Amino acid sequence: MRLFKNGSIAREDSAELQKADLLVNDEGVIVEVAPGIATSDGTEETDCSGCVLVPGMFDLNVHAREPGFEHKETLKTCAEAAINGGVTGIVLMPDTDPPVDSGNLVKSLQDLVSEVSPIAMLPAGCLTKGREGKEFAGFSGMANRGVAMLTDSDHAILCPDLLRHCMEYAKDFDLLVTTHGDTPALTKAGSINEGKVSYRLGLPGIPAISQEVAIDRDIRVAQHTGARLHLQQISTANGVQSIACAKEAGTRVSCEVSPHHLLLTEEDITDYNTHFKLDPPLRGQEDADALLQGLLDGIIDAIASNHAPHTDFEKSADFASAPFGVTGLETTVLALYDRFIRKNVFGWDLLIRKYSSAPRQIIGLDPIAITEGSKAEFFVFDPTSETLVDRDYLKTASPVTPFLGKTLSGAIRETVV
Amino acid sequence: MSELKPRKDLLDIESLSLEEIEYIFENAAPFKQLFQRSVKKVPTLRGKTVLNLFYEPSTRTSSSFEVAANRLSADVTNFAVSSSSIVKGESLLDTIETLQAMRSDYIVIRHQAAGVPGIVAKHTRASVLNAGDGYHAHPTQALLDSMTFREVYPDYRGRKVVIVGDILHSRVARSTSTLFNKLGIEVGVLGPGSLVPDGRHDFMTRLHSWDDVFDWGPDAVYLLRVQMERQEGQFFPSISEYHKMYGMHSERIEKMRQLGAYLMHPGPVNRGVEITDEAMSYEKSLISTQVENGIAIRMAVLHWLKPETNKD
Repeated sequence: MRLFKNGSIAREDSAELQKADLLVNDEGVIVEVAPGIATSDGTEETDCSGCVLVPGMFDLNVHAREPGFEHKETLKTCAEAAINGGVTGIVLMPDTDPPVDSGNLVKSLQDLVSEVSPIAMLPAGCLTKGREGKEFAGFSGMANRGVAMLTDSDHAILCPDLLRHCMEYAKDFDLLVTTHGDTPALTKAGSINEGKVSYRLGLPGIPAISQEVAIDRDIRVAQHTGARLHLQQISTANGVQSIACAKEAGTRVSCEVSPHHLLLTEEDITDYNTHFKLDPPLRGQEDADALLQGLLDGIIDAIASNHAPHTDFEKSADFASAPFGVTGLETTVLALYDRFIRKNVFGWDLLIRKYSSAPRQIIGLDPIAITEGSKAEFFVFDPTSETLVDRDYLKTASPVTPFLGKTLSGAIRETVV
Repeated sequence: MSELKPRKDLLDIESLSLEEIEYIFENAAPFKQLFQRSVKKVPTLRGKTVLNLFYEPSTRTSSSFEVAANRLSADVTNFAVSSSSIVKGESLLDTIETLQAMRSDYIVIRHQAAGVPGIVAKHTRASVLNAGDGYHAHPTQALLDSMTFREVYPDYRGRKVVIVGDILHSRVARSTSTLFNKLGIEVGVLGPGSLVPDGRHDFMTRLHSWDDVFDWGPDAVYLLRVQMERQEGQFFPSISEYHKMYGMHSERIEKMRQLGAYLMHPGPVNRGVEITDEAMSYEKSLISTQVENGIAIRMAVLHWLKPETNKD
């Protein structure tokens, strides 16, 4: 038995924290939530004075890189990173090598996960074979294995007819279709948001319309087919507006935003630092403002980190050549606490809704909470402490993040799974 | 002039102070006078080595740097990277290791990717001179352009220059317009909307036609080279249409003459595209002066920068 004493419990339906002790049995089930639970013999006691107990987060967009790119990250290091960041469940993007595009591959990935990970790591499957955008992947086999969603990740399906038929077919299995929102013909070799900063740095730009055109198309196809659509990594004000209109019209669409797009802008890209090279790129301040507003208004359903590890060496290339993506599992809770919760822009309740409950619901899971009878799946957050985001703190195999070297307020003392 | 803080690298124009810019011009002028003498060499950099590292084909700029280094008595190694063996971004750090081992005092680098000279500068003790990186910067070009403009207009402040052509893909346009702006020279731009994007630069006046240009009354017109090789996608219907809309031909030269405006071009010129043969012989063309001043400016920059190669 473990007793977590003197902590405050955060919930998704209340901005108020509830002061209570928490007793967890050896099976990992919360058996009692009450103030002043007495210690009994054989109970390990953890003092949580001043700390907040928060339900485990769930990240819809994670690249664990295994199989195929184990030099960047493995399922094991990815799980360690998740736990380090208070995340107790994730969806694995299928852009591995081989890409996860059949029931057998889903099964073998599930087997690997069960061997190495104490947390839920749920495979997503490809929409098209090999993520090539040419022919259907094996939908029914993947559906039978309980795939979390279907997506070609950052490969766009260029042909609207194929996307349409994928959506129609996915609907029969009630599979969630997820797209990343990119128009390659507009993105070209761009590496940064197109605008004043791209001009100043002399880098080829990626225009906002590259994502907006794709979002609009995908929404239209979803409306037409009635399929469930999830849009990843919304990055522009116009994108938020398109989704607001779609929701108003009753479209079955959900969307996510990354902590990076909420917290950073293109202006933060100084000295060609590739730790700020993201797909989609960091946009302007007015976009970041619209994304935050969209999150508060409920137009944006979820936060997802798009955890995308690349080695230091890969990221040490020049800005245009370096790969897109940074890690996010270990910095999302801390960075959002630091900028928003600590400053009362929003409370723990909103973070739990957007980064724990909604992501689970989007893929058909029940939300979790810290209640009697539930599985113990939470983290202990100390707001009086602070975290230096350095190589010692980061458990990911590729410690590449825009927050590297920064000190963020608060610290995750422990994640219980 | 008071002593300037020593500077290791020249990577862009933004980071230069007005004091540093004036210092470079002050030193370039006597170097230029040297060119009139039978012996054009000074011993300033005797025993020093300059590595010319060009990842993009260039004859003019690399020769200009080579001549500048030779006239300062430095030893020059030309390291042209053929397009077939273009070093991929991933091995950039390996390349830098190799360069460091060569113990050059100065590295002149041109690269197709913006920011590469900065990465090299960070990892070597040699002075790094950016000879053009991607669309980003070409600082010695900007300095030689400004030197040329100031020679014909000692009262350069408040005067006007129109840059014509592909602003979007041009590092020359970026660096030169930035320096003109720093010096108080007004900059106008003319070119197709697809190559002169709105809202990217705060200080340039967008002009929409040659009529606009001549109404604006520039003191010089700066034609950019049409760089088809650097464009991804189509930005205008055809070369002949570009020439018709934005090229310099005898009729427009006549208007230039009436205005007394000078003609500038960074070279090499595409005859028949941005400029016709007749226009090339315009008496107020500064194109050759630009080339000559390029050597003087590069000598002044080499003279000014302080490598840290003697440090442990």
